[in-house]
Amino acid sequence: MTNHLLFQDIDEPGLSTIEVYKRRGGYLMAEQALAMARDSIISSLKDSGLRGRGGAGFPTGLKASFIPQGKMDKFLVCNADESEPGTFKDRELMQKNPHSLIEGMIIAAYAVGANKAFIFIRGEYVQQAEILEKAIEEAKAAGYLGPDVMGRGVELDMWVHRGAGAYICGEETGLLDALEGRRGNPRLKPPFPANQGLYQGPTLINNVETLTAITYILKVGAEAYAAMGVEKSSGTKLISVSGNVKRPGNYEIEMGMTGRDIIYGLAGGIEDDREVLLWFPGGSSSPVLTKDDLDLPYDYDSLAGAKTMLGSGAIIVAHDGNSVVDIAVKTASFYKHESCGKCTPCREGTSWTTKMLKRIQSGEATPMDLDVISSVCEQIMGNCLCVLGDAMAMPVASMVTKFRPHFEAHIEQARAANEARLLAELDAPGNVLQGIAAD
Amino acid sequence: MPRPEIDQITFTVDGREVEAPAGTMLADAAKLGDVDIPVFCYEPKLGAPVGACRMCLVEIEGIPKLQTACSTPVRDGMVVDTQNPRVKAAQESVVEFLLLNHPLDCPVCDKGGECPLQDISFGWGRGESRFVEPKRHFQKPVELSPLIAIDRERCILCYRCVRFSQEVSEDYQLVLHERGADTFVGTFDGHPYVAPFSGNIMELCPVGALTSQAYRFRARPWDIEQSGSVCTLCPGQCNVSYTVRDDRVVRVLNRQNDDVDDGWLCDRGRFAYQSTYVDERVQGPMVRENGRLVPSSWDRALSTAVDIIDAADGRVGALAGGGSSNEDGWLLRRLMTEVVGSRDFDSRPAGVLSAGLQAALDAPEAQATVADLEWAHAVLVLDTEPVDDMPVLDLRLRKGVRRNGVRLAVATSRPSALDPNAELSVRFAPGAGEAFVCALDAAVGGVGDVAGLAAAAGADREAVEALGRMLREAGEDVVVVWGERLTHAADPEVGANAARALLKASGRLGLLDGRRGAGLLQVPTGMNARGLRELGVLPNVGPGYSEPAQVGRSSREIAVAAAAGEVRALHLLHVDPVASYPDRALWEAGLAAATGVVAHASFLTEGVLEHADVVFPSEAGAEKEGTVTHPDGRLQRLRPAVGKPEGTLPTWQVLSHLITALGGRATALTSMMITSEIAEAVPFYAGITHDEIGGFGIRWQEREASDAFPAGDSGPFSLVAPVAAASPNGALRLGSFRSVWSSPEVAHAPALKFLAPKQRAELNPDDAADRGIRHGQRVTVTADGTSVSATAHLRTASPRGSVFLETGLGDQSASALQSTEATVPSMVTVESA
Repeated sequence: MTNHLLFQDIDEPGLSTIEVYKRRGGYLMAEQALAMARDSIISSLKDSGLRGRGGAGFPTGLKASFIPQGKMDKFLVCNADESEPGTFKDRELMQKNPHSLIEGMIIAAYAVGANKAFIFIRGEYVQQAEILEKAIEEAKAAGYLGPDVMGRGVELDMWVHRGAGAYICGEETGLLDALEGRRGNPRLKPPFPANQGLYQGPTLINNVETLTAITYILKVGAEAYAAMGVEKSSGTKLISVSGNVKRPGNYEIEMGMTGRDIIYGLAGGIEDDREVLLWFPGGSSSPVLTKDDLDLPYDYDSLAGAKTMLGSGAIIVAHDGNSVVDIAVKTASFYKHESCGKCTPCREGTSWTTKMLKRIQSGEATPMDLDVISSVCEQIMGNCLCVLGDAMAMPVASMVTKFRPHFEAHIEQARAANEARLLAELDAPGNVLQGIAAD
Repeated sequence: MPRPEIDQITFTVDGREVEAPAGTMLADAAKLGDVDIPVFCYEPKLGAPVGACRMCLVEIEGIPKLQTACSTPVRDGMVVDTQNPRVKAAQESVVEFLLLNHPLDCPVCDKGGECPLQDISFGWGRGESRFVEPKRHFQKPVELSPLIAIDRERCILCYRCVRFSQEVSEDYQLVLHERGADTFVGTFDGHPYVAPFSGNIMELCPVGALTSQAYRFRARPWDIEQSGSVCTLCPGQCNVSYTVRDDRVVRVLNRQNDDVDDGWLCDRGRFAYQSTYVDERVQGPMVRENGRLVPSSWDRALSTAVDIIDAADGRVGALAGGGSSNEDGWLLRRLMTEVVGSRDFDSRPAGVLSAGLQAALDAPEAQATVADLEWAHAVLVLDTEPVDDMPVLDLRLRKGVRRNGVRLAVATSRPSALDPNAELSVRFAPGAGEAFVCALDAAVGGVGDVAGLAAAAGADREAVEALGRMLREAGEDVVVVWGERLTHAADPEVGANAARALLKASGRLGLLDGRRGAGLLQVPTGMNARGLRELGVLPNVGPGYSEPAQVGRSSREIAVAAAAGEVRALHLLHVDPVASYPDRALWEAGLAAATGVVAHASFLTEGVLEHADVVFPSEAGAEKEGTVTHPDGRLQRLRPAVGKPEGTLPTWQVLSHLITALGGRATALTSMMITSEIAEAVPFYAGITHDEIGGFGIRWQEREASDAFPAGDSGPFSLVAPVAAASPNGALRLGSFRSVWSSPEVAHAPALKFLAPKQRAELNPDDAADRGIRHGQRVTVTADGTSVSATAHLRTASPRGSVFLETGLGDQSASALQSTEATVPSMVTVESA
């Protein structure tokens, strides 16, 4: 079931300007929020059941309540480093409706008492960063940001910081290090950012969609928001559907809709009307599902029950014209390239897995290598400093487990093809090895 | 920040109940229960753990995921398993991962045999690898610096070295390049990693990726022995372990003593051992023959020395270099007082302080320790540059600021390496230390003419007042780290006034009340200056700061008297005053006029080469036996790691021989017997033995005998108006410094030679522009007709109106231009050469 909340007016021309946004009721929630007690905003967030939309799905209200009370420099950071392959929902939000994010950030910053806010946006989002910068200027000019927000004696300054192109900077502590001007490497947790984040100060860090949703939760009310979706996965979710579907793109759904309804309904079915080979339900780091799993309800807990995850809400569909080996190589290579190298299992494990998969792809492997891959993925999972290692191990392990016959068939085919090619080369006239091979 | 109180807690590891201090990281706490948890990236010396290598994963009851033991503080009742199948699987995987790209070239690797990666692979690894792909390849080895070779294939990317550079020595040179499996260690700009403490990264490296250029392929671990001693190159007296192969030192490692060095060494201490084995070293006795020093027999050298001293008929002056051990200093003192009958001996390069003031400054109640620097509320670094004068202190100061929020203030003439860490940096004119301390005292007390005194010191009044406020308000634990040269003025009254002002300001801050964690810590100019002082190797102070019946000549007075023919023979114990004391010209004249000069030296430095009539070989650090006293009162033991060159005698035996040959009492048959003599003579050393000193030394202040410390001159003091800094008036004030790299050991150690300094004139760019001088240009610095040539080195941080030159560089030294005779600091002109 679709239900437009964040995407309500998304295609309204000029929504990215403050005039149009205000005409559509913009900044009313921020004004309302600043008149509320800080605690009551946080309890609304708790009541709404909103869970982090960046990938981990941690309850947003609870996270905000971890920020220590009292007067000190506190920070709000918006994670706009949308780097998970297949995810492009935040891009559309920031591009078309930047003020809803800013408004959500004003509310969140007020709720936790943060006076400095940063939007860490991935470097490739040049246009979106410029739009945000312009929107921040407009909001400042209109008095929604600055030393005295809306005359309520609240200070809030906001900056856009562009990343330099590293997936790891989407990991919250890696993001904080990068924001501080250091190499973007994840930090050891604890301490968590809520206690010691940016510049060692208490920091609330949330995804673009989560922060934007805050505005709409205040608009419809926590109860109405909680009533949307299903138990423990309330509200709406922006999903990015891509791959071999007829209508790829961003959709806003109420959670609990089935995968089939999304892929065959919203996204119009599979290209060339082929069969689904596999689909990633939550970005390329989620363990893959098959066509047998299409009727799973799309919410946090149902997907967790199927040993995968909702992640960032990016559904990538591959039809049966693809080779699962190619998909595995592509996935592993991405994470190998993006591993920061700080911790051992991720640095070495992603590289090793990629090397093995490439060997499988080129026909220089045996089925025993599949066991090694599974075991290596096992060794990575849960043993790393952050979740990047798991992000490779989970999908690769799931592919090897669920599609083992595909892998084995490919190994044999590729081996046979190699053998045939070598024999043909040997038979070619003038090959000096001919005499030797005859023995 | 005062030291935190730590409770003991009980936790369980592998079924054993273990007691440990609360908050200890599990990896350390487990050791208390004899459980070894393997680690690579974890090194407490580097600060907070980073949990990067994942080697130390353990299971903690109640936590679903495995946790890194290096970063998990123990809590009461914690139950830890380090051996169950799940943990074992994780450990085996990490070892397997680390070895994927490791070349396993152990048979040709220097680290082989003393390699944590080998040990851990053996102890916690699976013993086999499933990796069949090609390994990572780099060009190898390449020079990370002239001292360090880097083999990037062996690197397991624990990044300890990078953390050292970024967070301990703060030279910010080493970084990780690239990312993921392509990561490698290098300097940010690709230039060699040259820094005062760079060698430490080789010891931190848990594999053979960083190896010593000097030690590469010299020995295998089964060829060598380790021998603990103390480095004798500076007052830091870091504890070292000499690696010995075939009776030769081939390497120097740190021997962690948290009360002294925190487990670090500077590169001078690490590589200067090489100077032991160079041809230039004095290998045996020499005498002057037809104007040239030639090797001689011991008999001849000893009898020549006896003749020289005998012929001088009591008119002998003696200098003990700061590098002399307590035993050497003591025997020189006995030779002079008991046999020669002269009190003209000194161990200070310049200046003289009364026994009372000396005792007040060194009183146990006023003494801060090195470890106090880590936990003080505030530290003032006064007229000293730690990285040059006592390098390891620099790291300790940085640690306090970085980890415990110690508030640091720096008050010097020359910009300090610690300025970026300091909350407040105050500059005063070179040579105006006395005026500055008087101003500081006024500012701390909030009384007196701060403005006038600050002006006399050439310092900014507001900065002095801010410093006074900071020290007053920081908290009760304030430590003042002060340079001995503050009291080096030729006029004893000036030095005494500076000392009184320092005591007065310290008294106002409560530093003299015996409070632990607060006090004074001197950075002396000589390695064992404190020990020599306490033994009474001073013209006006007896053993244990007693007042002697008769007062002799100080260093400078000896030089004057020698030049005038009043002192006829000179005895130089491990010191060449021409090369290293102020007033170069005066010493040249004194040595030239002396009828006989007896020297103990390792190298024929200029004064010895030209003027000594007999030269006895001094022992190298690793050959020396005896004791030394650290600036905070810690007696430490020097233990010979290797034998001396064949047939040579130790200095104490030479001195002992001279004493008996000149009719004195033979008492010292072993070095240890001299230590006992000292323990009898210095009341507050009473009963100290080598055994008690042990491997890590003992502070005499912590022993009962410290009650015997005499009452010092405790005031109340009234200060006299200090000597005002000269106004530049077109000329420049001359300031001097001695770089850590300025010593004969550096100049003669093949590995370190490239660091030996060349004279440079540090100038403010505006002063340079006024004179049409550009950076890097050759300039001539002139005072009273004497010139020194140097390379102009423009520093924006350098104060206007001053120029700084290095000392210890022969006739191109600052000391060639400095005369302590003048009551005001030397003024010089600087012009393009």
